[in-house]
Amino acid sequence: MLFECRNISFRYPDAEDYVFRDLMLKVTEPGLYGIFGPSGVGKTSFAKIVTGGIRDFSGDIRTEHLNIFLYSYNLERLPGWSSVRRHIDKITPLSKNGLKTELIEAFGIHGYLTSRFSKLSLGQQNRVNLIRYLLQDFDLLIMDESLANVDELTKEEIILKIKETFPMACFFYISHNVVEVSRFCKQIYVFRDAHKQPQIQIVKGLDFSRGQQVEKKDQEIAMLEIMNAS
Amino acid sequence: MLLRRIYQFLIIYLLGLFLLLVIKYALNLSDYVIPGPVEIWETCRETLPRYFSDVMDTLSVAIIGQFISIVLAISIGVIGRQATWFGSFVKVAAYNFQAYPIVAIAPIVFILLGDGFISRLLIAAMICYFPLLLSVVGIMSEPISDIEHFYRITGRMRWQLEVKIRAFENLSKLTTVIAGSATLAMAGTIVAEFIAANAGIGYSIRIALYQSNLSKILVALFTIGVSLSVYQGMLEMAGYMINKRWKG
Repeated sequence: MLFECRNISFRYPDAEDYVFRDLMLKVTEPGLYGIFGPSGVGKTSFAKIVTGGIRDFSGDIRTEHLNIFLYSYNLERLPGWSSVRRHIDKITPLSKNGLKTELIEAFGIHGYLTSRFSKLSLGQQNRVNLIRYLLQDFDLLIMDESLANVDELTKEEIILKIKETFPMACFFYISHNVVEVSRFCKQIYVFRDAHKQPQIQIVKGLDFSRGQQVEKKDQEIAMLEIMNAS
Repeated sequence: MLLRRIYQFLIIYLLGLFLLLVIKYALNLSDYVIPGPVEIWETCRETLPRYFSDVMDTLSVAIIGQFISIVLAISIGVIGRQATWFGSFVKVAAYNFQAYPIVAIAPIVFILLGDGFISRLLIAAMICYFPLLLSVVGIMSEPISDIEHFYRITGRMRWQLEVKIRAFENLSKLTTVIAGSATLAMAGTIVAEFIAANAGIGYSIRIALYQSNLSKILVALFTIGVSLSVYQGMLEMAGYMINKRWKG
């Protein structure tokens, strides 16, 4: 067991309804795990509970060999007073300079490193933001729609690169895109309303990696299972 | 920017002057109450150089007072932004203090410090300081979550970086507040001079008032308006240049 949530219950102050009631979730090995579900079901709240942004919940979170948890989300911004390159250089530990070059190439952001963050498109901004997190030390990284607005081909390249580069890390990939979670994730945790039990349904994903073949039928089955579970 | 400020002032000043003359002629008031255009012009020619020198004296005190206020407001605002008990204490104290009319304290300052430069400076700084402080505390206490999140979760956040992010994101607001506070500093200095000082344009207005000489007061208002417009225009230009340089 790497990570386990036991009987997590939570509701926002002054709210009548629970976001989570006795939520259970277990991760036993490193990899990319999808978190899928309709808006408002608590995916982001879950991410905040896991990374310490929300503390007034009941239940247990147990971890083994996972110490550093990071949470990145769509629409984060970099300060606007200098270029993307300067910001990335500043937050990169010396030991990760090689990784930085590699990720910049794979993420396709080389061409606009000299620009200010505000001058980039949303997809470019999200890629730059995600690189910042990948250059930090972490054991578990939650990516909350972190690749939104990125075209499908680049997104695939990025996800495969992440899987290759960080085989020993855990990733929770929050997305509304059923195709990508079913294709790239090892397991998909389908979040449902608090009044449905169990609140999380687990669906096996295809865990696609480079060079592997994916049968169209298998992908369709995984997608159907995810949709049925939600 | 600078020219716009000046011609805006000139339009308002001339409109005010025109209104006064309309009232004078409509109600058939004597020159003793509202002087005619010729008398105003003659007074202007006689007193303008002296009043200009007085207004420069006042403006220099106001600028130093404003500078002190800015430094103080930013320092206290940076401390007051914190969610600690001390930060809350500073915020509450600032809100309570600013509710009190500082002008009412001015006589105490003159009694204790006399009618010289220090008293004028202190009152200018005090009048300018509290509105500035409230704006700075407001700006500095508001987290910019979408930028700060990364630095917090990775343990890279330092107070200097936090202040830099919040100042950068609110740069236009800050420069507007600082440019606006010039009027307060000037008003504070004039009030101080009007109450008890022995120099500056406020002192000259007090003498004109004792002489019931509206022409002199109108000339004094003209010199105040023009110099303040130039000063504010320069502040706005400086703000614009800082914005342009920092934001790229």
